[in-house]
Amino acid sequence: MNETRDFSDERLNAFIDNELGAQESDELLAAIAENAELGQRLCALRSTKELVRHAYGHLPPARRMRIGRFPMWRGAMAAGVALVVGVLIGWQGHQVAVTSPPGSVLAWAGGLFSRPAPTRVLLHLDSSLPERMEEALDLAEAYLAKASNARVEIVVNNSGLDLLREKSTPHAARITSLASRHEMLAFVACGNAISRYRNAGLDVTLVPEARVAGTAVEHVVDRVRQGWTYLKI
Amino acid sequence: MRLLQSRAQRELVDKIEASRGRLYRMAFAWCHDAVLADDLAQETLAHGLTRMEQLRESEKLMSWLFAILNRCWIDHLRGRRDDLDDEMLAELPSPLPGPDSHAEMQETVSRVRAAVAALPVGQCQVVTLVDLEGCTYAEVADALAIPIGTVMSRLCRARTALRSLLEPATAQKRLRSVK
Repeated sequence: MNETRDFSDERLNAFIDNELGAQESDELLAAIAENAELGQRLCALRSTKELVRHAYGHLPPARRMRIGRFPMWRGAMAAGVALVVGVLIGWQGHQVAVTSPPGSVLAWAGGLFSRPAPTRVLLHLDSSLPERMEEALDLAEAYLAKASNARVEIVVNNSGLDLLREKSTPHAARITSLASRHEMLAFVACGNAISRYRNAGLDVTLVPEARVAGTAVEHVVDRVRQGWTYLKI
Repeated sequence: MRLLQSRAQRELVDKIEASRGRLYRMAFAWCHDAVLADDLAQETLAHGLTRMEQLRESEKLMSWLFAILNRCWIDHLRGRRDDLDDEMLAELPSPLPGPDSHAEMQETVSRVRAAVAALPVGQCQVVTLVDLEGCTYAEVADALAIPIGTVMSRLCRARTALRSLLEPATAQKRLRSVK
């Protein structure tokens, strides 16, 4: 009895991927015992699976130097940002009454309403749009005015680096003034962004208040891990 | 701050961070570009960490992260081809690795990676999730937001294609070693 054609490649795949039920597996094994061709087909599929598995055992190390070709992170959060800013300012003016849909950026900002208010806030700027730069500074200032003991960091990457470059920032005086009034306010620049600017032949002398992190993303991940409240501008 | 106060949440943050290597490997298997794979893995981590509330069942963490990685990858592909819908994207040829990226690899590994890279995106994703991560068909369906039947048919096409791409090479090698 030739049952080879009764076993499609999809079923053979399901067998080698442990997706077949016990009864079907038994039937297949019984058929293989009587049909060498079926066994060969199964074998070929299994060796393909093994080849793929072993081809990715040793990978080139994840490189630190990135070219920054797609700013998708920004897009994912952008929709929530205006709301978050509104929410923060609302909190400042004691107009709180926001119920956050679960899983949204607002849910994160929702942490800002808990009592006591968060004492560590990370603001992330990755754009050189004038209104975004201002938003970041406004937000930091507004928050520190309300919660003077809070630690606030503004971390910049991509073109957001322009906020902290001496040659490009329109806010050098404001940054100096803010930093002198708030000891707990820090400005952090992404090391990757700096390298990219430098490679492009641009001057990357930073304002004296800025310090440099390895990469902005890693800095954000570290901070979130330490319990900071993260907001994307 | 309440958000990260609980022990369970801190453990989840640890788990998300610990998955970085797996995300990088999967991203690499999809794009075959170390720089881009690192970007994709980082973006996925950042998304994951900032949207932990969306994860309903912690045991589904990896599927959930792969779903985010899939979104990042599709966004990247879409960024280059705005006119495509998901269905067409899945059929798009995977971007080929750079000319020097395989130079130092062993021959077989290099050949397999090149074959995987030559698969259409949808097939490449399914076969790597199943073979590298040991994902169940249901988990793959979940991560890529496609029906299980599609998972099975893509997997089938992927393995058939890989077999035909790899078999002639293996046969040639055998011949050489006989000489």
